[in-house]
Amino acid sequence: MLSPERLALPDYEYLAQRHVLTYMEDAVCQLLENREDISQYGIARFFTEYFNSVCQGTHILFREFSFVQATPHNRVSFLRAFWRCFRTVGKNGDLLTMKEYHCLLQLLCPDFPLELTQKAARIVLMDDAVDCLMSFSDFLFAFQIQFYYSEFLDSVAAIYEDLLSGKNPNTVIVPTSSSGQHRQRPALGEAGMLEGVEASLFYQCLENLCDRHKYSCPPPALVKEALSNVQRLTFYGFLMALSKHHGINQALGALPDKGDLMIDPAMDEELERLVVRSKLHRTPWQHRAKEPGAFGFQRREKQEALERVSSASVPTPYHYRWEPRE
Amino acid sequence: MIPGKYRSVSGRAANNVNCGLHLVIQTSSLPEKNKVEFKLNKDTSSFPGRLSQHDLERNYSSRQGDHINLVSSSLSSFPILQRSSEEKILYSDRLSLERQKLTVCPIINGEDHLRLLNFQHNFITRIQNISNLQKLISLDLYDNQIEEISGLSTLRCLRVLLLGKNRIKKISNLENLKSLDVLDLHGNQITKIENINHLCELRVLNLARNFLSHVDNLNGLDSLTELNLRHNQITFVRDVDNLPCLQHLFLSFNNISSFDSVSCLADSSSLSDITFDGNPIAQESWYKHTVLQNMMQLRQLDMKRITEEERRMASVLAKKEEEKKRESHKQSLLKEKKRLTINNVARQWDLQQQRVASIATDEDRKDSDSAQDPCQIDGSTLSAFPEETGPLDSGLNNALQGLSVVDTYLVEVDGDTLSLYGSGALESLDRNWSVQTAGMITTVSFTFIEFDEIVHVLPKLKIKFPNSLHLKFKETNLVMLQQFNALAQLRRIDQLTIDPQGNPVVNFTLWKYYVLFRLSHFSMQKINGTEVTQNDMIMAERLFGILAHVASSELPQYRLISILGDARKKQFRYLLESKGKKPGIINEENNDSKRPVGENTNRATLNYTTREFYNEKLEEIKEKKKFCKTYIEDLVKEATEINMKNEALQKLWPQMFIELVRDAVIEIRNKNSYMKLCLQQITDQK
Repeated sequence: MLSPERLALPDYEYLAQRHVLTYMEDAVCQLLENREDISQYGIARFFTEYFNSVCQGTHILFREFSFVQATPHNRVSFLRAFWRCFRTVGKNGDLLTMKEYHCLLQLLCPDFPLELTQKAARIVLMDDAVDCLMSFSDFLFAFQIQFYYSEFLDSVAAIYEDLLSGKNPNTVIVPTSSSGQHRQRPALGEAGMLEGVEASLFYQCLENLCDRHKYSCPPPALVKEALSNVQRLTFYGFLMALSKHHGINQALGALPDKGDLMIDPAMDEELERLVVRSKLHRTPWQHRAKEPGAFGFQRREKQEALERVSSASVPTPYHYRWEPRE
Repeated sequence: MIPGKYRSVSGRAANNVNCGLHLVIQTSSLPEKNKVEFKLNKDTSSFPGRLSQHDLERNYSSRQGDHINLVSSSLSSFPILQRSSEEKILYSDRLSLERQKLTVCPIINGEDHLRLLNFQHNFITRIQNISNLQKLISLDLYDNQIEEISGLSTLRCLRVLLLGKNRIKKISNLENLKSLDVLDLHGNQITKIENINHLCELRVLNLARNFLSHVDNLNGLDSLTELNLRHNQITFVRDVDNLPCLQHLFLSFNNISSFDSVSCLADSSSLSDITFDGNPIAQESWYKHTVLQNMMQLRQLDMKRITEEERRMASVLAKKEEEKKRESHKQSLLKEKKRLTINNVARQWDLQQQRVASIATDEDRKDSDSAQDPCQIDGSTLSAFPEETGPLDSGLNNALQGLSVVDTYLVEVDGDTLSLYGSGALESLDRNWSVQTAGMITTVSFTFIEFDEIVHVLPKLKIKFPNSLHLKFKETNLVMLQQFNALAQLRRIDQLTIDPQGNPVVNFTLWKYYVLFRLSHFSMQKINGTEVTQNDMIMAERLFGILAHVASSELPQYRLISILGDARKKQFRYLLESKGKKPGIINEENNDSKRPVGENTNRATLNYTTREFYNEKLEEIKEKKKFCKTYIEDLVKEATEINMKNEALQKLWPQMFIELVRDAVIEIRNKNSYMKLCLQQITDQK
């Protein structure tokens, strides 16, 4: 706590860097909003709960977008929550449209803006028709890049546009070919002008960007790695490369590796329990018609027992118990 | 024997003489022929046509003595008829040439006082050589091959003209026969009634077994009492009310299918006997009583007397028909009105959607003039309710001119279904519904209403229509899965139908599973018509179970309470806003919402707030946020000040401590002076 780095920073800057104030403000705001309810069990408990949830990453659930994107930690938590909640959708193998993914996002954050989802979809589909179906993992990784680094990406887009039109003073190579050379380069696929910009030049600009600005950007070393294999790249190609890069994913720390995306044993266990419970949970009128008498009675008891078990087995993060849930 | 029907010419009945030739004019309009009571020699000649004069002579002169001689004249090609003087005296006014195999009319000389002439059953093709018989009263040409009525212009005294079973195609050349009493044209090829309007003494007209397709042009027949039109192809009848004496009308075996086509019969006061059998109309269920009701003057129908009982029944049934018609007319009026209203609502909905869409795009373009676009859409309506321009009853049309199509919503109760069209219809839920009607409603259908507006009235729906188990949504702008969360507050839903039209949410792959998941406590049986299987429920649980788990167990307690409390408060607010609520009911509702029956509480936090409410809430929070910000800033300032002071103190403290110690040591160095100093300090204090 008393590290030299910390003491080196003036107070405000330190607080700002850790976004402490954001959380403090939000906490007090929540307190004000729910005065009546919270006053029942005390302010100290409230603050403990609040900051515990911040630590665990559950504070962003069902909150407004302005809060969700306020801090990098919030963004990471949101990504993680999205992954955990809808991993099953991906596991099921369904391919969904951009609109449907947006719907799922809105389930967790009611006013999540459509543009972000659209941009994420464009990354996956390489700027093609935005109505195509996408797999869960593709979308999720692209969305991660888009959401977490959204300001960064905006600047990158600007830089890319500049490079394309040749405004950068450092430019030597103009991407549009004036000679007929491009026809002898079928490797780039498209007829007409050469796509994208030169990779190394691009990287230089990015480096400058990262130095200049304070918001989060991917670790430059990893970006360099991502760009190392290509000569030229397009904007979306770059983003796609970023989203697929394992190192960046790990640096972010929100999502597991692509290979492990569908694996979450704790949740799977919980899910199984829920499924079993729903199987047993038959409505009274359906149920009684089939199994009369003692057997039906037995069934219900079992279900109740299961409920008690499941609620008890959920690891409560706190050591004190609230009033028994109904 | 002249059949009694036709007897009015001579009172004297001719005797039947059982020999030779009869001067008997026997015709009948009925198919069965009268007996011919004389024996004809078997015809031994080989041609049925022309008889040689020789044969005739042989036959008749040899057998029957001096009877008729048909001598061929050297002047003309027609045979000349000659009778013996005995015959002439005996039967001076009648001559029968029945079955004489005549192909032409023979010249009849010296018989100018003839009154009855019989040419039945011959092969005559043209009526000729009888112009001299100007005293003729009855001419019988039944069963010949006559193709045209002609050669009758001199027979001004003719009263009976029998031309049945010929090949006549047209009624003509009857102009001079003004005394005609009976005209028999049955069994011909006549297609049109014409050229008989001058026959004002005609009593009987037989046009059976012809090719008539309609009946008109009957004016002028002021004496007609019997009109036989059997076995034609008549589809409608006119002008019968212009026949002042008509009593018997036979229309059997024609093509009459409705009473309207013979409506003139109702106006004929003289008609007492009518037949319709063999017409399509006679097969209808309403035939008898309609005829009886419309023709009160009738005594006989289809050759059967009409009883009082029948008449009574007829009037009763006719009244019932009238009622039914009125009802159906009313119904169709109502239906038309409904259709127009729905079209109107659809149009308004489209305009609204266009406006919203254009506003959305306009916001991007920063264009403020969005109102113009919708007005240009009139021509191309997007709604799938195209205006049907089918033919309407003219009566309907007139009635509807008066209706104004300004209605912007429609509420319809149809047995167990309540249908609401247009957002104005939602207010109708406030109406006082009778308990019986409301209890019967099991299906509620919403069309052309924004789902967000429907969400606000769901609590009302729950109270007023407790038995509504099936909800249908069409053109309600369901775009997000979230919106289904709003349906959780209802008591129970068995079936849900979301029409793809106007509800984009149906295009999502997972929407059904989400519905099943979120509304699992309803145990829905059908979604969009397909049964919900156990597998569907399990799949829904698998897909979204973790979401529920996260939403319940991982939310901090205060959040849980606040979210649930929010929902409850909202419902409460709606309940309070509705009019005329008794306090008792409110309490009941409160209890109900505290413990939703059977609802999985782990899903309860998944709520839906309509966009406007959400924005409202955010607006409200802004103030608080501002306050919090300043408050925290103050705290931070305080904290940093204290921190600074603390740090400063930390820095200065060693020095200060040393100085303190040094001062103390210096003070105590000289014990005596120190003791004096302390004592002095104590005395000073006092």
